[in-house]
Amino acid sequence: MDLLLLGVSHHTAPVDLRERVDFSKRGVVEALRELATYPSATEAVVLTTCNRAEVYVACENIDITRGDLGRFMSLFHGVPEPELEPHLYSHSSAEAVRHLCRVTTGLDSLVVGEPQIFGQVKEAYAIATGEQSTGTVLNKLFPWSFAIAKHVRTATNLGEGAVSVSYAAISLAKKIFGNLKNLEVLVVGAGEMAELTATHLQSHQVQRIAVTSRTLARTAALARKVGGTTIEWTAIENELLNADVVVTATGSLNPLITAAAIKRVMRARLNRPLFIIDLGLPRDVDPSAGQLEQVFLYNIDDLQAIISENLARRQEQTTRAEGLISDAVLEFLVWLRSRGTLPTIVALRRRFETVRRSELERLEPKLNGLTPDARARVDEVTRLLVQKLLLTPTEQLKTAADPTTAAQYTEAITQIFQLDETPSTDGDNITQSDDVASAAPAADKTPVTS
Amino acid sequence: MTILPLLLYLVAGVAYGFFFVRRSQLIGRLATASLAAAALIHTFVVGMRTVEVGQLPFVGTAAIISAFVWLLALAYLYTEVTTDERAMGVFIVPLLVVLQTISTLSDGVIEPAPVLESRWFAVHVVSLLFAYAAFALACVVGITYVLLFRELKSKQLGFFAARLPSLHVIDAMNGRAVGVGWLFLTAGLAVGATWLFQLQPDAADPRVRAMSFFDPKIFVVSLSWFVYSFELYARRVIGWSGKRAAWLSALGFSIVLLNLVPVGYFLTDSHNF
Repeated sequence: MDLLLLGVSHHTAPVDLRERVDFSKRGVVEALRELATYPSATEAVVLTTCNRAEVYVACENIDITRGDLGRFMSLFHGVPEPELEPHLYSHSSAEAVRHLCRVTTGLDSLVVGEPQIFGQVKEAYAIATGEQSTGTVLNKLFPWSFAIAKHVRTATNLGEGAVSVSYAAISLAKKIFGNLKNLEVLVVGAGEMAELTATHLQSHQVQRIAVTSRTLARTAALARKVGGTTIEWTAIENELLNADVVVTATGSLNPLITAAAIKRVMRARLNRPLFIIDLGLPRDVDPSAGQLEQVFLYNIDDLQAIISENLARRQEQTTRAEGLISDAVLEFLVWLRSRGTLPTIVALRRRFETVRRSELERLEPKLNGLTPDARARVDEVTRLLVQKLLLTPTEQLKTAADPTTAAQYTEAITQIFQLDETPSTDGDNITQSDDVASAAPAADKTPVTS
Repeated sequence: MTILPLLLYLVAGVAYGFFFVRRSQLIGRLATASLAAAALIHTFVVGMRTVEVGQLPFVGTAAIISAFVWLLALAYLYTEVTTDERAMGVFIVPLLVVLQTISTLSDGVIEPAPVLESRWFAVHVVSLLFAYAAFALACVVGITYVLLFRELKSKQLGFFAARLPSLHVIDAMNGRAVGVGWLFLTAGLAVGATWLFQLQPDAADPRVRAMSFFDPKIFVVSLSWFVYSFELYARRVIGWSGKRAAWLSALGFSIVLLNLVPVGYFLTDSHNF
């Protein structure tokens, strides 16, 4: 059994193509059902986000499955194969495992370390398990990758620091005011930037949002959207008396709010802190207002500088994160490879068990004279003997360093013990699931760190 | 036994330092547990001394400093538990370690002067020490406010912004600490003044007879009372919260320290037991 993934992402495809291969258009469930008609893919998970569309499958034959998945992507989305193929990437075995870990931790995201992808991968896995399209391999791989992602994010602080303007503004507001729930917000302007920031503030359940702009209709529309109230354009200075956070994003050529006005207001509001987020270009607030003691004035460049610093800090952490993932991938591969030798291990155990039972049957006339206790002891001793003899070869098969070695071991053991000819009716107490359980790393186990 | 609180304060100080840098919750919990253990053992030590002396053992510099450390540790633990914020520990606990070291090195039980064998003494000294502990807390909290304030104003968010709570929380902690400290300071001074008026002019001890408002120790502590009163007034009435309140807290505690060490040691004659 092996792993394969095929997909497109912001690394390989332009946005117009990504839009055309978006699984959410026809639905992930439908995609999984259609994938089930391809016999080469025995298990599948479909991941779709605004920046990627990926299919993870467990399969027996990488080459055949790769061809099938390419055809599936093309047919499902109605994009001709020649057009799609140059933008597809595929990874198998270790690289597929590594890729999933990088995706889950946010290392492969457009904004490195962003946390939303973790939830999206979890959702994709939940849908796949709901559709029963996962099996032993993917049921091990995905929960394990979640554990790795959590460990990597905790160990590296990969997700720390705001990396968008509105998040940076919210983080600053939290650093100044702590809890945002009691804050009054004044939004000056009703454009895209103002809306984005106001929406973020609203999601933090601020007490009140007052909106004003020169266009009444747009003001009313934004106020409705963020559950705020509209105020007169001329009432800005009055509103400054109560506001804790002011967001300005207008196209005004001259500063709308002067330092003198803010100074007057600060006196009247007994120097309560005032956080001004000036997103306008040219700036809407007189920059010298930032020199007033309890005024925290940040313009778009200030916020961008914070974002750049945070991104650089995240970038510094990526090398460490990649190292942690590499260690973890090795651990998973050991488990995956052990599954390749599983039929041989099962056959070997059955062979030995058959020999043991047949010998006990042959000696039956001689053993008849023994008490039931003594017979049970003979049975136990022979069983333990077989187990001990098989312990080392089983471990060797499970931990074979690479696929070639594993294949050589399997071939040699099959030949030496003539496993191909072994009848499988005996030893039915030895099952594949026993071996899966004994070979698998715990799903919630954290990886070995460097 | 007296060395044990110091060792635990030291462990807590190191743990708070690691917690501040690494931000590991496990280390943070270890730091709090160590400090709580130190405060508990310290309480036992104070209790044992009380039994030994027959009254609260707050006589002599070493005992006063040790009592100050004990109350500051309790005040800080209370603040940490009620605000669920342990980033301040790295600023407070090293102060406890230094002061407790001084106290431990010059440890010794001093027999109280006969005039101090009064229930007023315990109320007077404990109130003032608790006030000083609260002011120390306010001062340290104020310093952290200024550190974070500077980062936010300069738009260079870094070490402190990543570790300290919000300005609002720090300012509220400062306000609460000064408020509580001021109440205890006022109570301690009022009790001291009342007790003095009761003793004078027939007191046998010449130091009590010579005591007046112009004794350096009494004068300087009154000065600190005015500074803290002004801070509380200015915070509520003229909006001097935040940075100004932080500086006033630092000024107030400087006066308290001045009173505890140079004035207490060298300048006062009458108020020296």
